[in-house]
Amino acid sequence: MRRILAVAEYIFKQNFRNKILNVLIIFAILSIGFSLLISELAKEVEIRMTKDFGLFSISIFAFLTLVLSLTIQLFEETELKTISMVIVKPITRAEFIIGKFFGIILTIFMNILFMFIILMVVIKIRGGDPWDLKLFLSVAGTFLSLSILTSVALFLSVITTSIPGCIIFLFFTYILGHLTVHLKNLQYKITNQLVYKIIDILYIMVPNLELFNLKDKIHTNFSLFTFDYILLIISYSIIYILIMLILTVIIFNKKEF
Amino acid sequence: MNVIEAKNVTKIYKPLDFWKKEKIVAIRNINLEIKKGEVFGLLGLNGAGKTTLMKIFLGLLKPTSGTVRIFNDTIENRKIRERIGYMSELPYFPKYLKAYEILDYFADLFNIDPKIKKDKINEVLEIVRLSGRQNFKIKAFSKGMQGRLGLAQALLNDPEILFLDEPMSGFDPLGYKETRDIIIELNKKGKTIFFNSHILSEVEKVCDRVGVLHRKEIIDVQPIDQILKKHKNLEDYFINIINDEKVKK
Repeated sequence: MRRILAVAEYIFKQNFRNKILNVLIIFAILSIGFSLLISELAKEVEIRMTKDFGLFSISIFAFLTLVLSLTIQLFEETELKTISMVIVKPITRAEFIIGKFFGIILTIFMNILFMFIILMVVIKIRGGDPWDLKLFLSVAGTFLSLSILTSVALFLSVITTSIPGCIIFLFFTYILGHLTVHLKNLQYKITNQLVYKIIDILYIMVPNLELFNLKDKIHTNFSLFTFDYILLIISYSIIYILIMLILTVIIFNKKEF
Repeated sequence: MNVIEAKNVTKIYKPLDFWKKEKIVAIRNINLEIKKGEVFGLLGLNGAGKTTLMKIFLGLLKPTSGTVRIFNDTIENRKIRERIGYMSELPYFPKYLKAYEILDYFADLFNIDPKIKKDKINEVLEIVRLSGRQNFKIKAFSKGMQGRLGLAQALLNDPEILFLDEPMSGFDPLGYKETRDIIIELNKKGKTIFFNSHILSEVEKVCDRVGVLHRKEIIDVQPIDQILKKHKNLEDYFINIINDEKVKK
């Protein structure tokens, strides 16, 4: 356990000391500030737009945090070969992967938290209710989907041989993760059996990120903000993450450096 | 007593792309024994397979055939890895972290008791002559200082065997001397040291025995004092033996 925490802490420190992530936070502040400007233009829906724009910015910047964190890690491990000095230590490869997972999601969590606090302040300034439970659950949904994507990113990092390849596949997963549910809904119109099967495979294999997309529904009466639904998406993310981490460890154990 | 034993070790790299069939033989039928307490230098031209052999000893690469025993056990055993130290060639550390933070991380990986961790870190910093620099960020470190920090992390667990991959690579002449002095001091404390190097003048000053890896095979292993009886220096021996091999081939 101590070794897992050590890896997580090291990765978190490394990410947070890195100026790329600082720039990212500045961008997040600017984009949320920009939402103030937009809401000035549309008086009647200003709070609603502030919330929408803020939540959208949080989800995009959280994803970019993952991409940058992964790029930094992979660059140092593969190009600068830092991994060999770690792997020869008395740490199992499973401990290393789990530590890395927690290090990255801790970075994402802190970034989301920082951006969310700013959004709450902006909402308060615009006269809205920053303590709206739907708002909290929407951000929690974004964090859960990013945790899943982190596990996918680690898996991709051990099966691909190049950093750009890994990042491109991660972007595909992000896009497909939001699309598969829509494809599934359209499947009944498809007559080609091959395409039908491909959609089935994608639906099972690619994480269903739309499950966590609560931010688009905060102004609707969908019954997504219930205890049962939240429990469902938490269970889904835990199972998906576990499967991805187990597969990652199996492949990582066979890897040579 | 042998602390490292390699028997018939061969490593063949498979092509990275699945459509390619060409395999690359990195090392072939390596038999080598390293005795407790000795400083062993592995010599060879670029691409001879020195780093491959060291990586196999460390478990970073798996041999295609043959066996490696460290302390008569396998490197996969965590207990064995607790007894070794390793420094890679031109070690790199994140430039925004402080030297102390890096050593603190490695100390945790070694599971060093938190009560003695600080003292241990200060001790290794003193050995590598970086005392007083623990709160400096890596971006303020020269290449030589980063190299010494690399050595410091390898010493945290008080290892019985030290594996050093090109420990003087990128150093200036003063860096050579400092690294050489550190190796000699560590050896006096009973540590076994196995290292690869191109800098023959330094190898000659610190090693008890050397092995020459050429064209994927170990072609000679000899004590330094015997070499120096027949040759004017290690460089002379190395060039002769490589040229002899060329003639044979």
